[in-house]
Parts: sequence; structure tokens; C-alpha cells
Amino acid sequence: MVEANGSIAAAAPPLVGQRRRRRRHWGDTLAPYLFILPFIVAFVVLFLGPALYSLGLSFYRYKGYGAAHFLGWSNYLATLRFHAFWSALGNTIFYWVAHVVPMMVIAFLLAIFVRTKFVPFKSVIKPILFVPNIVAIVAASLVFQNLFGTEYGVINWLIGMKIPWLQDYGLARWVVVVVLVWRNVGFWFVVFLAGLTSISPEIEDAARVDGATTWQRLRFITIPLMRNIFLFAFVIDAINSFQLFTEPNVLMGRAGELANEQVAPLLNLLVLNLRSGNFGQASAVSWILFVLIAIASFVQFRLFKSGEGEASE
Amino acid sequence: MTLFASATMPATHWRIRWFRPAMLASWVLLAVLVLLSIYPFLMMFINSFKSDTEIMVNPAALPQQWTLHSYAAVFSANGGLWRNFINGVVIAGTSTVVAVFITAMAAFAFAKYHFVGRNVIFTLLMLTLMVPPQITIPPLYIMFAQLHWINTLQVQIVPTVTSVFGLFMIRQYMLGIPNELLEAARMDGANHWQVFWRIMLPVSAPILGAFAILHFLGVWNAYLWPLIVANRPAVQPIMVSLPNLTDPNIGYLPVWGTIMAGCVVATLPILIVFVIFQDRFMASAVVGAVRE
Repeated sequence: MVEANGSIAAAAPPLVGQRRRRRRHWGDTLAPYLFILPFIVAFVVLFLGPALYSLGLSFYRYKGYGAAHFLGWSNYLATLRFHAFWSALGNTIFYWVAHVVPMMVIAFLLAIFVRTKFVPFKSVIKPILFVPNIVAIVAASLVFQNLFGTEYGVINWLIGMKIPWLQDYGLARWVVVVVLVWRNVGFWFVVFLAGLTSISPEIEDAARVDGATTWQRLRFITIPLMRNIFLFAFVIDAINSFQLFTEPNVLMGRAGELANEQVAPLLNLLVLNLRSGNFGQASAVSWILFVLIAIASFVQFRLFKSGEGEASE
Repeated sequence: MTLFASATMPATHWRIRWFRPAMLASWVLLAVLVLLSIYPFLMMFINSFKSDTEIMVNPAALPQQWTLHSYAAVFSANGGLWRNFINGVVIAGTSTVVAVFITAMAAFAFAKYHFVGRNVIFTLLMLTLMVPPQITIPPLYIMFAQLHWINTLQVQIVPTVTSVFGLFMIRQYMLGIPNELLEAARMDGANHWQVFWRIMLPVSAPILGAFAILHFLGVWNAYLWPLIVANRPAVQPIMVSLPNLTDPNIGYLPVWGTIMAGCVVATLPILIVFVIFQDRFMASAVVGAVRE
């Protein structure tokens, strides 16, 4: 039997799920490695290698030339003792927390709303709500800088006041939040809409037949079935929020300068250290960022897991 | 009252309830949302047709005098913002072509071949998704400085070509492509490369398109890395040079008409592509979240 199929097997590649019935040609063994080679080489040279190098660097004082001095944990300790670190951390967490809740709530309600019979022209509404997401972050930030300008701003002109939106840092923080919500709400709306569509209509019909109210269906069917999508959305948004850089710096920076320390996000410390040639300290900052992202992701996984237990009780 | 529209609901039902207050309220709400969504766009376009001086006295209304002066300025500012626009397109375009190509090849191997180390390598790659890419910035800067690549285009292209998320996304799609299709091609005498090039690539076109869009927008949007490695206006992408547009006479006073025109130039091409391929754009948003 093996012999009878020999010619076919010889022509077949070593595909998943297929038993190999002959001695493999060396080219068949090599082929997958050749296919992954360019990606792996690029990944090792441009990510894995530099990442390990960065971890090493974070324990040294290195100016980019000359000798490197081993410092132990000094770079980390110095960063943690630096008052700008704590204000940047505070700002970053503020930007994250202040935008994520309204953004996700609006996106989810929008998704539910657009699925109702009250909304006509769905195929037009959907792209219109998504379109802010395709505007480049720099362009969006510049447009909002124009909208919220003090002297020549659109908003102040419309309301006839001279509110220093971007000069008063307490207000400026909220402008960053507005930009984040405006630009990203349509993205999550589309994701949630796809999630809602993937819930089979039979489940909802069955619940309706059983006399469940709209609220009950939402609370006990829709939201639990969307749990994984919510988890994905919150984790991705947290990761992006800790890597926030462009919005505050373009909104509050002037002509390419970085934003003031009082509104600066964490990544500004990386850039500032890099610009002053403190490569070790810059690396330490980036690894602290990694730890913070890991903590934020872990906490959310735990929260969603505990919520799951509640729902099933 | 039923909130969820049922697929079987007759069209007339909808018309009968046309004037109900709930309907009216939701239409108003919808109009407000649409306006909020596009108002910044509108202002960007409107203000790009005002002169820099008119914006100061008339920031929000329609231009009293429509002018293309800002667009003329965009194409001459900093020795030509168009050059920065082209830089941005070259950087994002090259990166996307390379990324799609090497990622598709790797995804094909991970999806359709058995080989020693496959699962270990793939799992290790996936674990690095947790790591913020910014940790590589200090070493990359040192590496590229030693190569004398600072202030070049390639330093902005090369570090962006690997995407582990793209690998995950494309492999996931390729796993769903039936093996019989590839075996048939093999029986017809196609070699490994031909199976990939003639069968796998065309069949995976939808996911490759979604990935290409995501990747292009990601690189096009990049601000942090180019800000660090490109100080020379001649090699800066448009995203870095746009916020720098200032009045040549008054130092750092921003020239809003010109900046808005620059924003239009940076946005319009993507907007046009979006209008044509909107479904693919929105599918690329969903791909990670829902399809898992």
C-alpha cells in the first residue's frame, strides 16, 4: 500500500496532519526554516537582541561611547527617586483611567444603539463614526490644538470666552482625554459591533420569548457573552495608554518641543534621558514601563476572572 | 418594547413608528454623534482654506476669502513639506511591503509545516507581545549611530519591519485554509516556493490586506522613533515636521492655516483609501478581537 501511494506521497509536502510515508528529501526538511528565516533574523537583530542589550544596559552607566560602568540597580533607584518620574506616572495613569471608562461605555452603548431599529443608514453611520481613527495622531492633535487655542481657538470663539485650555495644565489634561476618546471611540465601537453581531440571534430571541426585559437581556446575555472582547479591549487600551506619547506632546509642546513636565507622559523620560546621552537610565525607564504594563494587564485579567466567577453564581 | 431589531421585522413596521418620540430622540442623538465625529474634520478642511492671518480673527466660521495660500505654503515651507510627505510615504510603504512579505512567509511555515522547534519558537515569539517595543530604543539608537544611519530614511524603515502581532493574525487565517488545496498543487508538481507564491498568497489576500493597512497606518503614525533619529528636515516624515511649522518672521508662532493644510495633506490620501476600502479597514480593527 505504501508502495502504491509512493508517487503521490513523494509529491506531497510535509503538511500538518499528514503522515510522511517516505524518506524526506532534505529540501522538504529545510523549506520551513527558509520560510521563517527572514522574519526570525529581523526579529533577533531588531527586537530580541536589542531587548536583551537594553536589559543589560539598564544596569550600566553608558554614554554611547567609551567605557560602560556597572551600577547595579542605581539607574532604577535613581528613576524611582526622580520626582518627574512620579508626576509622569501620575499623568499617564490619569490619561488612561480618565479616557478608558467613558470611551468604552460610549463605544458599547453606540454599538447597541446602532443595532436597533431606530438607526437608519447603518452602512453610512458605521464608517462615519470610525473615521476619526484613520486621522494620524499628529494631525488629530494639531487640529485639537487649533480647536482649543486660547486666543484664536475655535471653541473659545464659539463660546465667546478666553479659557486657557492648553495653558492651564489642569484643563489641558482633559483636552488630551478628549482627543483620546474622539480618536478611538469609533475603533472600539466597530469591534463591539462585530462582537454583538457574533452573538447568535437565537439566544436573544429565546430570552425574549421567556419574557426577559431589554435590560435583563443586556445584563445576563449580551454582556457576559462579550466578556472576552471587553477583556481584550481593556488590556490593549491599557498597553497603548502606558505607551502614550504623541497626543500630549503635540498638544502641549511648542514647535516640536516636548510637553512640560507637569503634563508629560512616562515615555518623555525615555526621550529626555536619550537626548542627554544617558543610555543606561533610558533603558531602565523602558523596563520600568514594561513592569507597569505587565502589572496593569495582570490586574485586569484578575478582575475579569473574578467577575466571571460572580456571573456564573 | 423591543430594543433589538429582528431580522424578520417587516419594513412597514418601521415606517409606522416613524414619528414616535423615541425615534425622533434617537435621530437627534445620532445627528449629534455624527457631528461630533466629523466636526474636527470640517474645521481642518475649512481652516486650511483661510490665510494664516484670517484664522486669527475668524477661527470658526467659513472663510471670508477662500484661498489656496496655505497649500502653496505647505509646498514651500521648510524647503517643501511635500518632501516630508514623500518621506513618510516611502518609509511606511517600504516597511509595509517588506513586513507583509516576510511575515506571510513565516506565517505560512508556522501554519502549514511540521518542523523541529516550531511550537517553541512560536510560543516565544507570542510572549514578546507583552514587551513594549520602546525598550529597544536605546540599543537601536546606539546600533544605528555606529552604522552612521542617524538622519537617514533607512533608520526609520528597518526597525519597523517585524510584527509579531501580524504573524499571529496571518497564521491564524492560514490555519483555516484547507491542506487539500496545497496538496493538490504539490501533486501538480509545484515546489514549496510555488505553493506559497501561487496558492497561499492569493488565498490569504484578505488577511494580508488587513495587515498591510494596519501596518502602514502604524508606521505612518509613528512619532517617537522618527523624532529621535531624524533631526534633519530633509529626512523627516510629515508627522515630525508638521508640528514644527512656524511663522518664519515671528519665530515660534504657529501658522495655523498652513498647519491645517498640512494636516489635510497628511490625512486626505488615507481618507480616500478608507472610502474605497472601508470594509477592509474596519475588518482590520476587528481581526484581533473577535476572531480568536
